[in-house]
Amino acid sequence: MPASAGAKRLLMAAGVGLLVLLVVGFVFGAIGSKMFGIGDGFLSKPEIHLPPQPIFPASTRDYHLGLAESSDKSHETKPAEGGHETTDSKEAHHSKPLGLTKFAVTNTLLSSWVATIVIIIFFVAGAGKKSLIPGRFQALVETLLETAINFCESVVGREIGRKVFPVVATIFFFVLFNAWLALFPFYQFAGFVQDGELKAHLLRSAGTDLNMPLALALISFAFVEYWGFRAHGFGYLKKFFALGNLFRLRPSGLIDVFVGFLELISEFVRVVSFTFRLFGNMTAGEILVVMITFLVPFVAAEFVFGLELLVGLIQAIIFAALTLVFLSVAVSHEEH
Amino acid sequence: MTELGVNVPSLIAYLINFLILLGILSVFAYKPLVRLMDQRAERIRESLEAADQARQEAASSREAVEEALNEARQQGQRLLDQTREAAERYRAEEMERARQEADAFVLRARADIQRERDAAIEEVRSNFGELAITAAERVIGRTLDPRAHEDLIAQVLEEGADLRRN
Repeated sequence: MPASAGAKRLLMAAGVGLLVLLVVGFVFGAIGSKMFGIGDGFLSKPEIHLPPQPIFPASTRDYHLGLAESSDKSHETKPAEGGHETTDSKEAHHSKPLGLTKFAVTNTLLSSWVATIVIIIFFVAGAGKKSLIPGRFQALVETLLETAINFCESVVGREIGRKVFPVVATIFFFVLFNAWLALFPFYQFAGFVQDGELKAHLLRSAGTDLNMPLALALISFAFVEYWGFRAHGFGYLKKFFALGNLFRLRPSGLIDVFVGFLELISEFVRVVSFTFRLFGNMTAGEILVVMITFLVPFVAAEFVFGLELLVGLIQAIIFAALTLVFLSVAVSHEEH
Repeated sequence: MTELGVNVPSLIAYLINFLILLGILSVFAYKPLVRLMDQRAERIRESLEAADQARQEAASSREAVEEALNEARQQGQRLLDQTREAAERYRAEEMERARQEADAFVLRARADIQRERDAAIEEVRSNFGELAITAAERVIGRTLDPRAHEDLIAQVLEEGADLRRN
């Protein structure tokens, strides 16, 4: 079996190579370089920004990232490189958040556009031929859709499932593509550099921008409430303002009102939980990738990438499935 | 809020972005693909039904062929039986006729023989008188009067005939 033996040898060689890379990465990474006193490490210390950085228009970018300023105050950033950061230089490092109302194209917004375009290309190409006997790619796209439809139908029934699946599927694919596309390496290195420092990435996973999960959560919320009203008419509100027993002066009316109030609160709390679940997971993933890469530049991050693939998929499923479940609760005819 | 990066224009941009994506996907991907998949399902169901029907038809036609074959076999058998019977009957008839013919022939032959014998006897009888007389003339050396002894001769002949007949 020469082929098998060759393959085995190749696998061994690759394994040894990866191990060597891992060790080298460890030694020259942040931990190793401190331990062995080599210097500053292979990569500069990463910065974590919770708010997304504006990148267009250029003037807004320069102002908010401090790009124009830092060339003037280059002396202030010097000590930071030495590792003794003053509070002043720390502030100079941090980009100013955009504020509540100012418009700029942020790197997360840009990457969401990229993801949108990729999704559209993927699906439109998949649906392009519309042949009754599908090719491989069309079959793949159809399988994805079929799975989504079946899932929707299994949760809310055939009739409603058919109608709601576009929104649920779009949520799923939007979250998924945003998460997975962010694992491409150019998300990590493409950006705006000044003084040898990466000030802002050109692209950044859209899930790490609170606005994106918030927008999806609002859409999910509006969608669920719309279907609630569509199924029950204005009677849908009775679930939240259960005053019937109170008007009849029954003591249980107070409990109904309280339960209704809880229901009402939970509807809105869902928006918050949706938002921060996705935001937290995506941000944590990105921070994890950055930190692991900083600590051990080679190989170690691969495991994190594998994890992130899984996290992206799970978050996409959770977002879509929870929307569907809340919708099925809103649509269901429960008599209290 | 701003530290977390909440930004209203971004939020609106994401909302619009999502709605555009939803619209485009619905029009260009979901609807045509779902219609296509439904069509395909319909087509497959139709084909399966057609195949089922064809199978049933094949089975029924095979049955019909089988039936026709059976029918033909039975008919052939019946014909054969009839023919055999007819042949049998014919043979029996023929045999009967042959036997009758043979019997008739035998009867006729017997009658012929009888007649021949009678004729022969008659002839012998007619000749025998003369012969006897001639023989007697020779024996006694004289002529006998045939007329005188005719009665006697006839009596002898009668006795002889009776004797022979017995």
